[in-house]
This record gives sequence, C-alpha cells and structure tokens, in this order.
Amino acid sequence: MKKIVSLLLVAVMLLGLVACGAAKPAETQAPETTAAPAPVETAAPATEAPTEAALVVDTCILKEADDKMLNTYTAIAVNPEAPFTDADGNAVSDVAVNTAGADALIQWLLSQEALDMAGEYGVAEYGEHLFYVKDNAPVYAGEIAPATEETKVIRLSTTTSVNDSGLLGYLLPVFESTYGYTVEVQSAGTGKAINAAKFGNADLILVHSKSQEEAFVEEGFARVVDGFEAERISFLYNYFVLCGPSADPAGVKDSASVLDAFAAIADGKYTFVSRGDGSGTHTKELSLWPEALGITKEAESFAAYTDWYVSANAGMGACLVMAEEMGAYILTDKATFLTFVANDGVM
Amino acid sequence: MKLPAFSKTYADSTVLDFPGMEVEPGRIYAIIGANGSGKSTFAKILSGVLPADRKVALPQSVGYLPQKPYAFRMSTRKNILLGGTDASRADALMKDLRLCHLEKKRADRLSGGETARMALARLMMGQYDLVILDEPTAAMDIETTAAAESRILDYTRRSGCAMILVTHSLQQARRVADEALFFYKGRLLESGPKEQVLYQPAQPETRRFLEFYGQ
Amino acid sequence: MGSALQKAITLILSADAELLNILSVTARMSIQSSLLALLLGVPLGVWLGARKFPGRNALVVLNRTLMGMPPVVCGLLFYMLFSGVGPLRHMKLLFTVKIMVMAQVVLITPIVVGNMETYVAGIAPAIRETAKGLGLSSCKTFLLMCGECVYQIFSVYLLAFARSIAEVGAVSMVGGAIAWKTNVMTTAIMQYTNRGSFSLGIALGMILLAVSLLVNIVISLLQRRLSR
Repeated sequence: MKKIVSLLLVAVMLLGLVACGAAKPAETQAPETTAAPAPVETAAPATEAPTEAALVVDTCILKEADDKMLNTYTAIAVNPEAPFTDADGNAVSDVAVNTAGADALIQWLLSQEALDMAGEYGVAEYGEHLFYVKDNAPVYAGEIAPATEETKVIRLSTTTSVNDSGLLGYLLPVFESTYGYTVEVQSAGTGKAINAAKFGNADLILVHSKSQEEAFVEEGFARVVDGFEAERISFLYNYFVLCGPSADPAGVKDSASVLDAFAAIADGKYTFVSRGDGSGTHTKELSLWPEALGITKEAESFAAYTDWYVSANAGMGACLVMAEEMGAYILTDKATFLTFVANDGVM
Repeated sequence: MKLPAFSKTYADSTVLDFPGMEVEPGRIYAIIGANGSGKSTFAKILSGVLPADRKVALPQSVGYLPQKPYAFRMSTRKNILLGGTDASRADALMKDLRLCHLEKKRADRLSGGETARMALARLMMGQYDLVILDEPTAAMDIETTAAAESRILDYTRRSGCAMILVTHSLQQARRVADEALFFYKGRLLESGPKEQVLYQPAQPETRRFLEFYGQ
Repeated sequence: MGSALQKAITLILSADAELLNILSVTARMSIQSSLLALLLGVPLGVWLGARKFPGRNALVVLNRTLMGMPPVVCGLLFYMLFSGVGPLRHMKLLFTVKIMVMAQVVLITPIVVGNMETYVAGIAPAIRETAKGLGLSSCKTFLLMCGECVYQIFSVYLLAFARSIAEVGAVSMVGGAIAWKTNVMTTAIMQYTNRGSFSLGIALGMILLAVSLLVNIVISLLQRRLSR
C-alpha cells in the first residue's frame, strides 16, 4: 500500500516537474511580450507582430566608434615581490605567484599567432570584429617555455566581458595544448579581478580599466615580463557602444559626441542602466557623464538621480536584459551586445 | 535484603522521603498512593535511573520496568531477547502474554497494550535480586492484565526476587501483593501485610484513599 | 524562459562536455561534503543529545548559532584564510574542490549535529531507562541508541546533501567558479544569470532539481527497504 502511495507521489512530482517546464513556453510568451511590446510596434508597425516578433531585440547601437569609448584590454603579470598585505594590513612576503606561467601566457598572447586569432574572433559568427589588435602591440617572437610540474597551473583573473565574449574559450585551448599549461580563469568585474590579484590569488590579470591598471602598477603589484618594456601590455581593443531603445527619445544618435549624448540622457532624465559593480565598463561610464552631475561609484553620488539612473550591480548580460525591459539606455562592450542580439535578447 | 533510606528534593520541596526497609525474596510489595505521592520517583531512584539527594548504596542486581518502556526498532522477538538469551523461555513468555502472533512485527509499531506486554516479557527474560515494575498493566485490557498478573506472581515465586509493584489499582494490589506500602505526599505513611494496609489501615489518610478507590 | 525546458533537454541529450564536468564536480563536492558532515556531525549530535553534562546547553546554543551562519560569511572566512596573502596560503587550497568541501562541511555539520541532537534528546531518556532497567551495559546501550538513529541518519543525510548541492554563496567565493575545475551547478547558474542567459540558468536549475529528485528517490527507497 505504502509502496503504491510513494510511487504515485514520485509520479506526481515528475509530472509536476515536466508540467512546470512545459507550461512555461505558453506562459512566458506573455511576460516577454510585456517586456518589449511598445518597442516592437515602433520597430515594425506594419507587421502585426506574430508570436516570434516578441523576441526581437529593440535595444540597438546608437553611438559607437567614438574615441572616448575606446576599450583597451591590458595584460599585467603579478609581481611576487609586491607589497601584499593580509586582511589586517600586515605585510605578507612569501606569496606564491607562478611567474614562469604568467610569462608564458603573456608571451603567447602577444605572439603573432594569438594576435591573429584574436583579431579574427567573431567575424565568422557575427560578421563583425569583436576585438581589434592594437597597432603598437609589442609582438613577441621569442621562445615560450613549456610547462613544468611547478608552473603548470596559471591563474588568470579577468573581466566578465572577456570571458563572456568567448574569446578566452577560443584562444586558451590552443595555448594549453601546445605548451602543456592549464589556465584557470576566474572572471569578475575589473575591480574585483584586480583585487583578486592583490590578494595573491592570480598570476596575471587581463582587464580593461586604464586608471585602475595604472594604480595597480603604481602600488607595485605589476611586473615587467621578459621581452617586454612596460608592466601594462595593452594589445587588444574594441569600442564600448552606447545602446538604447530604437525610438531614441534622447536623440542620442544625432548628438555630436558621446559626451553630448550622455548629457542629453541626463538632461531628459531618460532611464539609464549602469553596471554599478566597479567593472571596467562601469568605470568607463562614470567618465562619460557631465562633470557637473558628480556621478561616481559611491552610492550617495547618484542618490538624487534614482528616478532615471539605475545602478544594477550585475553582469553585462543581466544589465542588457534589464535595459531591454525598461527601454533604457546602456553602455556596453560590443561583444556582449552582439551575443545578446544574436540570442534574441534571451542569451 | 535491605532497601536503603533516601530522599529526593526539587528546589525547596521534598517530593520523596523514604526511611528504608527490609524486603524478602519471593514476595511482592505493592506501592500504592495517589498521583504525585512519589511512587514513580521511588521506583526510579531505587532502580538507579534517578539520583537521590545523597548517594545511596542500591541493591546490586535490579530489574526495572519504566512506566513508558521503549520499544526498539526491531522485531518483538528481538526486543524480548534483549532481556536474556534463552530462546525457549522467550517462546514461553510470548505464549503466556499473547505475543506469538506479533513475534515478527516491528516493536515500535505495536499498540500501547502490546508494547506493555512485550516490555514485561523482556524484563522477565532476566534474573534479578530486586525487580521494580512501574504500572506494568496500565495500558492493558482486562484479559491481558489477568495474564500479566499471573506471570508476575509466577515470576516472583520462581525466580525468588523481591518484587516491587507500583500500581494505581487497589484491586491489583489486593490480587497479587503480599505486602503493601502506602505513600502519601512523598512519605511512606503505612506499610505491612496487605491484609492490614489494604483492608484495615491504621492511618486516616490510608482509609480515605481506600474509601475513595476501594469499590 | 520559454525555451528553458527545451534547452535543459537539449543540454542533457547533447552530453555537453562542460555540463558533464559541472555535474561531476557538483556530485563530487556535494557527496563528499555531506558524507563528511555526517561522519563528524552524527557522533557529535548523538553525544550532545544523549549525555547530560555541564556546559551542554551552551554547546547546543552555540551549535544553533552556527546553524544560522550565512554561507557567504563562511566563504569569506575561508577565502581570507587560504587566500594568496592569508595565513594558510601555503596549503594552496584556494580555488580547489577540497576547500569547497571544507567550507561546506563547516556549514552543514551544525545542521547535522542539531538535527541528531534534537532527535536523540527525544528518545535518549526512554532508552536509557529501559536499558538500565534491563541491566544492559553502557556499551550495549550506546549501540542500541545508534541502531535507533540509523533511520534518522538517512533523512539527515538527505538534508545535508540538499544543503550542499544547493549552496552557492560559500562555494563561489572559495571555489572561484573556475571552468573545468570548480564550477558547480549553482555557480554556473549564477554565471549564466550575470551574463543574462536566464534560460540556460533555468535549464541548469531544472537539471539540479532533477538530480536532487533522483537522489531523494534512491535514498527513500533504500530507507524503505531497510525499515522492513
């Protein structure tokens, strides 16, 4: 008897699970239509939006390729002799850093082979370059040491945008299989990625926030890699893009510069979604607002603007979804945005 | 055998003050008294489950059946064999206490009356100098109570233990006891042969108790 | 979200290598940590529940406090200890499955202890009285007590496993959610969410629930079989 009851229970649970999943497609069409109904009509008023149209992304690129929105990626090797301190601020001297591994990875990333791969990345899939190789990138042509037992594991702390664009997943397997290393990638916003290195938890960082990188070097955490001249090795770039609803109520498209565009958004109090997480994208965004507004990373600085300035403290993808739903403006890296669009806004 | 004197005090109130007494092997001593008169406390201290105010020298070999005996999560038979290893004796006890049909049933699924019989059988598997039963038949019906009482008598006479039977049933005391002890508000008020204590008590409190519960 | 179920099924059917890796790391971490927590917590819980000694109540209160420790606090503690600049840096445990298991054990053991303590405290007095009344040795009494706990241990294990597999705050901090190494289902769901891949996150969530359901069914059947 009990057996039958328990079997029934299991069956009901399974059914429930399936039903939850199966019911969702029907159900979710509703939320997703509400998510972007207005934009759909403005974008394609002629077609009486069939079911699939609800999935079309309305958010589009309004401003790009502005020098102010240049987004440069920099690799920095961590200095084992850096002034590390523990949580109480006491100096820590013998922090384990895999310098040989970091050297090898940076040298390979700057090899012609890797630069070519990075430059072509995304062209096949999106028909656009996601990254460009910097003209003055110091190409490395020397020897790269293969892995030894001690140097095998390389800890790379990087930003979500690099990781989420799929670039590392595309590049690293080639490096790993050629030289025998294992690269452990941790991804977080640039601020967190740099902090992980300061806590001695990374051998090198790959980030995109000049001011934070320079501070990192200044504090003595960086190291010059053999065969290079400076601590900061900038080798890839792309552009941040300012996106927003296709209707563009702030008239961002026609503004003379990106600074004017940001000023227009602030003037009209059009909703803007900020990463708000100390990432490179966030840092860049902060530098684009009119100085008079005084927006910084501190919460008090934008307390007066909460009616239009949304500090999300979330990843790029999550912020894009948010901006799409709110019909808001947003600053994003192009790679993530293209992935977002390619996946119909659901990623 | 000598039962030591002991007392039990909670906070400031003395719940039990026992002066000590002699018990003889093969005899049944019924402990009677109203609720809260200290009967169970007496049984618990004597069996060593509850410490007395001062350390006392208890009899060496004591068997004790608590008011709510625990039924282990195993068959009734295995439970009974915890009390002693003699299989044929277990069979006999199960037959006498009408447990044969429950032999393989898990003991923790027995009813209240069945559990009480199982626990009695389990205790009677052993051999002790002093046996204390705390309300052994409270959960049983009339028929099984009769069977249990005859087992108690038989066990006491055969094993030659001194048997202390805590009971709230005056009739039961009259049926099986040789002597009776009347507890009143934590004190042993009256003791002696049952003919005296249970039929012609000397103390007015005992008389009142008998009048109230007697018929 | 509409395609979440489809994605979940496609993910499973495609036997995507990374998904399989995530599943195996998740299984390894949650099984190891729940078993370890059981190994530590059950004797401690039985001891706390069965024994009366001065300071017992203080220990019970301390344990209940630990039961309420926020996972991120536990994660932070381990992160600081084992970080590259932390006092235990030489053990090189940060961002390994081992340290994830350790953090989980710290989180789950109090739950096991508390659960066993409550259960044992409920049955111990009656068992002790009965065993004492039968003149059983304290060793035999302890064995009987353990026997009585076996069934409770099953359900406590399920609780521990469920906690372990569902935990995200501590494991993401000490594990770093490194692909192919320390990424478990919950941290992967976090990553997908941050990336905005909600449907993939839901798909993984469904798989997580399905795995949890499977484990529950297996353990319940085992328990049923044993209790006969």
